[in-house]
Amino acid sequence: MSGTHEGTFQGLRAQLQEAAATFADGPDALEGILLGIVDDVDRAVREPLEIFPVCHHSPASAIAMARRLREKQPKVVYLELCEDMAPLLTELRNCKLPVAVQSFATEVDGFPAEWSPLSVVAPITEASAEYQAIAYALDTPGVELVLVDRSSDHVFQWDARGTESAEPADPAAPPAEEEAALHGDAVGVEIGDLRPRFAELEEYLLRHGKVRHWSEWWHQYVELPLGDSDHDTYRQVMLLIGSLFRRLAPGDPHRVRVDEDRERYMWTRMREHLAAADADPADCLYVCGAFHAASRVAEFGVHGTDTFEVSPPTATTWQHGLIPSSHAAIEAQFGLAAGSVSIAATVWAKNLRRTRVEPFRLVGQAGAKKSRAKKAVAAAEAVPALPPSDKLTGFLRQTPALDRLDEAELLGWSVEIVRAARRNGYLASTADAIAVFETSILLAGMRDRTRPTPYDFQDAAVTCIEKDTVPGRRDVRRLVEIMMGGDRVGQVGYDALPPLARDVHDRLAPLGLKLQQSGVRRALLDIASQPELERCSDVLWMLRYLMPQGAARPIMGERKLGERSIQESWDLALGTYQRALIELGYEGVSIEQVLEQRLRRLAYDRRATAASVLEAVEDATLYLRSRRLADELGTHALEVLSAERSVDGAPEVLRRVRRLLAYYRTSEAVLPPWIESFVKTGYAHYCTLLPTAFTDDDATVRQVAAMLGFLFSMESLALSLGCDRTQLELAVVQSHPEEPSKTALLWAAQVHLGRLSRADLRNRCDELLGNPLVVPAYPRYLSGFVHALDPVPGLTDFVVEAVSNAFGRLPDPVLLPWLPTLITTLRSGGSELAPLLIREAGRTFPGRLAALDTWVPPWRAQPEAVRPARPAEGGRGCALLAAHPATCDAMASLLGCEGTWETADSGPAGVALTGRHPDTAVALEALLAGA
Amino acid sequence: MSDLLRAPAEIKYAEELEWLESIDDGPKPFSWRLSPKMVRLFILGSERSDGLDREISQKWYGDRSFVERSIVTLASDRGLLLIGDPGTGKSWLAELLSAAICRNSTLVVQGTAGTTEDHIKYSWNVSMVIAKGQSRESMIPSPIMTAMESGAIGRFEELTRSTSDVQDALISILSEKYISVPELDSEGIVFAKPGFSIIATANSRDRGVNDLSSALKRRFNFVRIPVVTNKKSEVEIVRFRTEELLRRHQIELEVPPTLLDVLLQSFADLRASAAAAGSDDGKLESALSTAEQIGVLEDAVLHSNFFGERALTARTLASSLVGSLARREPEDLAILNKYLHGVVEPRSKEEGGSWPEFLEGGRDAIATLS
Repeated sequence: MSGTHEGTFQGLRAQLQEAAATFADGPDALEGILLGIVDDVDRAVREPLEIFPVCHHSPASAIAMARRLREKQPKVVYLELCEDMAPLLTELRNCKLPVAVQSFATEVDGFPAEWSPLSVVAPITEASAEYQAIAYALDTPGVELVLVDRSSDHVFQWDARGTESAEPADPAAPPAEEEAALHGDAVGVEIGDLRPRFAELEEYLLRHGKVRHWSEWWHQYVELPLGDSDHDTYRQVMLLIGSLFRRLAPGDPHRVRVDEDRERYMWTRMREHLAAADADPADCLYVCGAFHAASRVAEFGVHGTDTFEVSPPTATTWQHGLIPSSHAAIEAQFGLAAGSVSIAATVWAKNLRRTRVEPFRLVGQAGAKKSRAKKAVAAAEAVPALPPSDKLTGFLRQTPALDRLDEAELLGWSVEIVRAARRNGYLASTADAIAVFETSILLAGMRDRTRPTPYDFQDAAVTCIEKDTVPGRRDVRRLVEIMMGGDRVGQVGYDALPPLARDVHDRLAPLGLKLQQSGVRRALLDIASQPELERCSDVLWMLRYLMPQGAARPIMGERKLGERSIQESWDLALGTYQRALIELGYEGVSIEQVLEQRLRRLAYDRRATAASVLEAVEDATLYLRSRRLADELGTHALEVLSAERSVDGAPEVLRRVRRLLAYYRTSEAVLPPWIESFVKTGYAHYCTLLPTAFTDDDATVRQVAAMLGFLFSMESLALSLGCDRTQLELAVVQSHPEEPSKTALLWAAQVHLGRLSRADLRNRCDELLGNPLVVPAYPRYLSGFVHALDPVPGLTDFVVEAVSNAFGRLPDPVLLPWLPTLITTLRSGGSELAPLLIREAGRTFPGRLAALDTWVPPWRAQPEAVRPARPAEGGRGCALLAAHPATCDAMASLLGCEGTWETADSGPAGVALTGRHPDTAVALEALLAGA
Repeated sequence: MSDLLRAPAEIKYAEELEWLESIDDGPKPFSWRLSPKMVRLFILGSERSDGLDREISQKWYGDRSFVERSIVTLASDRGLLLIGDPGTGKSWLAELLSAAICRNSTLVVQGTAGTTEDHIKYSWNVSMVIAKGQSRESMIPSPIMTAMESGAIGRFEELTRSTSDVQDALISILSEKYISVPELDSEGIVFAKPGFSIIATANSRDRGVNDLSSALKRRFNFVRIPVVTNKKSEVEIVRFRTEELLRRHQIELEVPPTLLDVLLQSFADLRASAAAAGSDDGKLESALSTAEQIGVLEDAVLHSNFFGERALTARTLASSLVGSLARREPEDLAILNKYLHGVVEPRSKEEGGSWPEFLEGGRDAIATLS
């Protein structure tokens, strides 16, 4: 048997040997490579289990696959795809392609923690051989689809991160559109990665092919010639290319090892399956990348050795799902030229029309046009396999088949691009269409093609239409890409969504919007009239917290502690951000659960501060309304606060505790125990840290002010809970700041505690202003006072006085440089302090210009010896009442009081009263008599 | 070797062109001397696979599609406008194209603020007009008119530097392909012969000085030539041009590859910092093009040859780099100073090699200038 097969490529071998001898002056490495390639092809062709080599995004592969499947009708299809992704493939029919099968793991066990989250994606487009195989296997009864490549876990087990860099992207400008980022930072796996791994080889091929990038080379030299070839030719040529790239690879040891291990893995799995299912290899088809088809490992083949041991997976839990993908995302991830996947899709559609091959399509495939329901799959008879014959020699010898010029198509393109350019702001006219047409043909001629490829056409359009500036958002290159099929963004259907995403869509159903579709939808929630929408609002706020910006954006309405909105409006783009939603689904079954996990993770993080934990408490209350979680996190905040040694977070802690306290005081009968403890602990904690913070250079005046704010504003609560005021007084006594602003803060604190009178404080400030040596530092004292407004709001008038004095008495060289500092301080740190100051200033200073001349500042005015007696205002009112009794009576009746106005001059006031209420008088009399 | 200081491409490569013409059997548009494929071969050089008996050197470095698009444009009805930053090789490409297509690259109009319509149409020999009256003999045709009459390529350098009325005169030349001379009754119209076209160059940094009108834009195909950032081709360009220069000056001096690396690396760093800079003050005024690099190297080579030890050192290279790039004071000097201290100093500590000497030289040069 082997004798006959050896003869298959005998002629080709002899020729190549001769060629090697001629070009390389004798048998050497060249001969080894050339003959090795033939050996590889020969071995793969002779394998009893038919190997079907493919290349990704190759319409020729897809057409050949569809043809072969109809001919052979295999019972088992082995596919080079991560084996753990198998259960998801049936869900493909619910999706609009392209989508990507994703494996995702957030909780990593067995990998470095910094790798988390792990994500593997395998994008699937309709114009691919793998989709043909999947559609055939899933929709044909009695056919089994077996995924044989290593699992997602092994992808990372065999990963050598840090030792190798990522695949270099195409140097041409990557599309900066968001579709390109659809896969996030997932690791991409693809069936049939076929590209020279040898930069020089690729460069050589591009140079001699007179093409610019790899996708164009492939299109020109493999795709087009293979378009109509028969199965044997297709197979042998693909094997040849696979083998060529493999033999000319520079041998990066790690990469080679991973590739070979994958081959060992796949063949081991296939043999296991063949044995278990007792299948005949002749009824099976193995679909893999051409690169792997030309393998030389010992495990290769049905009769290969069983020496490979599959390593056990790590304990990492993997979640699986489908996420939307797009042509741009696939191009960006796998370093393909922009537009190449779209062009492949267009070529596929065109080839289908031309060759009349009936493609396979999953029944009920979403997003596909209705097929003409031709169920001719079973009708075709399986064609018996013929022994392989040498098709390579003929193929390699034939001159490139030149596609004849399709003038009508090119004209159509030329007219279309000019129209598209005009729509995008270019000054393009019919003359340009003619020029593009002409230039395309000239360019193609120069590049030895009779027919311009889409890439030639693109070059021609850029030459003739693109001028010095791009008038709109897209340039001509991009317009051609769009015209050639454009980017297609896939969508995962409702049924293929994880439970969380389905739940979100169900819960948002009352909004009546088509949220599955991409694009932004405006949702209007009138909660006052439709209270059931409040539940939707809850979901939306959670989505806003969990999803990337833009997925759910409130236009009107806000969520604050203790407030409820009655109307909200939202911009929702859940369809556009489908991937993010699906990835949330890997973390839990409901958004509440995911949110709870996130909050907990945030709070228990190593780097969490008291302020961040309090934020989590607030979020738990806001979004989840969960008292249980808030209490738990609050208790944790207490622990975090006690362990803190710095006061960096003091302002934030103060702000949040105040807000939470205000909320609990208004909404709950009793304060939660944790917040009481928090205040108690915080009081003691900040008292302890106060003296150090006053002297510590790292603690800013704002932070110290916030500490004082906490101490003073929580004082009553803390004291009621058993804290001791002496602790605070001692802390203040022990504080000896050196920095002027902190000194001012300390003075303010002393005033608050009654240890310093306002007169003394005023004197101190006067002394500062009067001493020329200290004057330059006065502004810094002032900043201290401004910060003191928060803990000691009673000092506001004094601060106005101090600022006013500064403006009045400070010399210009000191005052002017300080002004910007004052403004920036008030802007950044004192947004809540400024209104206080302004209000006080408004009260103090005269409102009109004219009054300014006579105005004396209150602090300079002599204390008035005798306050003028208040005029008897009561009498004035009385007189008015007596003068207009009718008004008074009307008012009284309106208010529901009985009686009419009576003038008081009809006797002593008591008499009327006793007359009206005799019982009282009698009782009083009895009392007095008794006494 | 010709005795010209700088021979135009058609003289410099005359023999190569002759040879190419003799073996060229491809279809030639109009009166072209070479077929488009041979023009490409002449400019981009030959490969072994082209199966030629002799090697054709590469003369212009850059994406081959630019050359192809340019050639195809000249074969079509439209003019060619090469646009790009200064020093990207636009004029050189234009010269090579005209030399290959019509063996005459000297029909050049230089666009300046003082260029008038006469420069692109015709003027009169005044004494001859007085003597014999207005006739074809007393008319002085412009280079463009000469190109029209002979079916050659006319060149217009720095198109955007000339004023808009001059630019407008080009519109009729490009669309009607004739110039009318109203002063002459008979023979009053000069028609262009087949093969005539115009290659214009424009500096993209000059945008906005004299913007092209839409009518003129429509008559040109624009080919944008980017600054070469690919290190490998940049090495080739610099080496190619430096060798040519050394030959021209008859200097025998070795440019050590390590110094070439230092030069390329420093330009790459400065380009990266210019790309990251937010305002013009944070960027060097120079476009940091490959021509600029060659200029720096040329300066250093000449300096070492005539004033130094007849060997190129990193120190000389650094001082020539600072000297060539520091144009504005203090902005450019500050940037270079920052570069030397922030990038070169750590690198010289880490990598050693020529970097410490380069750093020294750079510091000294900055100290002298500031």
